[in-house]
This record gives sequence, structure tokens and C-alpha cells, in this order.
Amino acid sequence: RQPLSLCVVGERLCSTEEATAGSGTYTRHGFIFSSLAGCLERKNEDNELPVVSVVRDSESQLLPNVGAVVTCKVCSINSRFAKVHILYVGSTPLKSTFRGTIRREDIRATEKDKVEVYKSFRPSDIVLAKVISLGDAQSNYLLSTAENELGVVVARSEAGVQMVPISWCEMQCPRTHTKEFRKVARVQPQFLQT
Amino acid sequence: GTAAEALVGQVVLPGDLLLLPGHYDEDAESERLRLSAGATPQGRLLCGPGLRRSGAGLLVTKCGLLRHRPAGGGAYWVDSQQKRYVPVKGDHVIGIVTAKAGDVFRLDVGGSEPASLSYLAFEGATKRNRPNVQVGDLIYGQFVVANKDMEPEMVCIDSSGKSSGMGIIGQDGFLFKVSLGLIRKLLAPKCEIIQELSQLYPFELVLGMNGRIWVKAKTIQQTLIIVNILEACEYMTAEQRKQALAKLSGN
Repeated sequence: RQPLSLCVVGERLCSTEEATAGSGTYTRHGFIFSSLAGCLERKNEDNELPVVSVVRDSESQLLPNVGAVVTCKVCSINSRFAKVHILYVGSTPLKSTFRGTIRREDIRATEKDKVEVYKSFRPSDIVLAKVISLGDAQSNYLLSTAENELGVVVARSEAGVQMVPISWCEMQCPRTHTKEFRKVARVQPQFLQT
Repeated sequence: GTAAEALVGQVVLPGDLLLLPGHYDEDAESERLRLSAGATPQGRLLCGPGLRRSGAGLLVTKCGLLRHRPAGGGAYWVDSQQKRYVPVKGDHVIGIVTAKAGDVFRLDVGGSEPASLSYLAFEGATKRNRPNVQVGDLIYGQFVVANKDMEPEMVCIDSSGKSSGMGIIGQDGFLFKVSLGLIRKLLAPKCEIIQELSQLYPFELVLGMNGRIWVKAKTIQQTLIIVNILEACEYMTAEQRKQALAKLSGN
């Protein structure tokens, strides 16, 4: 194993003729530069060039890609969009939460102009959504729930009790029997017990 | 819990569980939902403000007097005194303009958040014909969106596009604040207080459900007299009020 060597952002590591760029690096003008501050790792392949990568922690941070299904928690709603915290990417939990936005026109696939955000999500709901855009530097991830399998999974009623879904747009509280509107996610057949 | 009928007309506190007839022995923990839309055994009982249904009984969420109306299947509710207003959809309120932000006015309605009012939400307002609203103006409007998760939104037109009395309240006059219970009393049909006052002097009156009242009479002195009477009506009995008005009309 190579001895531990640290590098900073922008440090020139080697030329592209000696190695190929791995994660945490980028190539410019025929050289490999580091894009993270961390430990330099060099993996030797048998037939091809060794792969040079820079890692920050022992496990790499999993970033949501476009098209990934994420689990998030709604933190605030507005008449135009809902702001969420992304907690899980697929089934792996994130160490630090990312922020996402679900716009009003991305909540449903049909009848987009009749959608009311208040009747689809409420703060503290757990929602399954899909990433449609990474956004630019200042904005959050843009998410969408415009599919049958996406939407609210867990929600609490005004009485504080976890609600039971009764249709794709309503959930009912078992204690007060009041119905509330949500955009409910359809349970996928492989998770249903019969 | 105790039976609901035994506590009608008495003070109830938040957390009290009221049992409905026919369910005295039922365990309040059985929370199974039935999928069929069958009627509950005791008929359609209305659960009013201050109460929430919990299992087999009603859970009190506000302190006050328990009231009951047997008509139409029965209704229970809690009469409580409150000064702090919570925005409710459909309520007509008086708001004070605090800021103009782009196409939207910010109004203070006495709730936890300022309400927003679009400049297009007035009768006859178009993008070219904007209403003449300045910071500090009084607006009488109703809520279209009012819940605990979003900021409240107001409009000054009703569902058919007519203003029906809503809009900017004119110059002069006097705005003051009373408790919400007094406003409900004044808004009841054929309110005695308003009838007696109108025999004293002619005046204009706007009542907002957020506890705000705007009065305008011919002179400042008359306006202030009406303001003082309305504020004192909170604690005066009917006789005391009649005596006070008799003294004033005698002068």
C-alpha cells in the first residue's frame, strides 16, 4: 500500500499518460488535478493504467443523480412549491441532508393547473420523489412526484396520529376519523403482503 | 371520562374526555377503522370548535363552557373567550397595509403572520388599472387561504367578482380592538347594542372578525363616544348600557 499522502484542491497530481483520472479528480491540459482536499489513492490495474483518485472520508458521499428516487421530509409549503430535506438516496441514508424543491406543476402528472400544494403535502410528511434536476449553484435539487409510485408515504394527522391511506388522494386518521388530502404513493406490488 | 350531557353548561378544560351516550363502557383504545361508510350508532353528531373526536368520545382542546344543541342530530361545542385572532378561511377581517412588495400587499391582520393581498383582487382591477392603496391604509377583505402551514391570503372580491362591501376603508374614522366574543355578539342578527347606538347618532361601522372595529360619525366627539360605549359593552350588562345611553341622549 502506498504511504498516506494528502493533497489539496487544484494540486497537479500527474500527467494523463501515467494514470487515468478517478473520482475526486479532473483533467486539464493533459494533466490530472485534484478537485477535493483529501487522501490520494492510486489503484494499480493489471493491463491498463493505474487509476488515481482522491477521497475525503473513508466512505464517499452519495450524491443524488438525475432520475434517482429519494426519500425526503417536507419542511415548509407555499402556494407555489414545497421545500423538502432529502434524507435517503435509494436505501442509503445521507450523513447530511440536502435541500430539495417540489414545484406545484411537478406534483401530479395530470391536471397540473388544478393542483393545490396544501392538498398534496403538509410539513413533516415523508415523501418519495424523483430527482429531475440538480439545479445550479444557488438553488436546491428539483424533485418531482408525478408518478403513481411517488408521493406521500407517512403522514401525521392534526391529532398527531399516523394516518392510513384510503385512496390516491386521501388519508384517514384512525383516532379522529377525519380525512385529509394528500398525494399518496401507491405501494409497489413487491411490498404488499397477501 | 365523564358523560357529555352531565357537563353541558359547565367549565371544561383541555384534556377532558367526554363520553357520548351509548359508549360508556367502550374502551377508548379501540381504534379500528371500518371501510364501509355506515352511520355511527348515535346518529350524525356535530363536533364543534374546541372539541376533537378521539376514539369513542370527544376530547376538549380549549377551556370554556360546554354547549349543546339537540337539533339536527345534536352538536357539542365549547364557548371560549379569546383575544388573539387565528386566521380562518372565509372570515371577513380588517387589515392594515404594512408593505407593498411587487404585485402583492402585506397586511397586518393580528395573526401570527402578515397576510398577502394581490392588487388584482379588487373589483374592477386590471394590470393597467391598479387600486390606489398606500402603506397604512385599512382594508376590509376575506381570507381565501388560511391554515397553520401557509401564510394567509386575502381578497377584496367575492366568488362572483363583486366587491360586496369589501375594499379600502375611507379616510378618517377610528380603529380599535376588542375581544373576539364581543365581535360575534355584535355580528348576531338584530343586535341590541347596534340598534340602540343607531338611535343615538348616525355612524358608519365596520366589524372585522379579527377583533378590529372601525367607526366614523359626523364629529370626532361623537366618534369617540361610540368607541367608548362599544369598548365598555364587553363588561356592561344590558341595564347599565341602557342607563349610559339614556344619560347621553339626555345631554
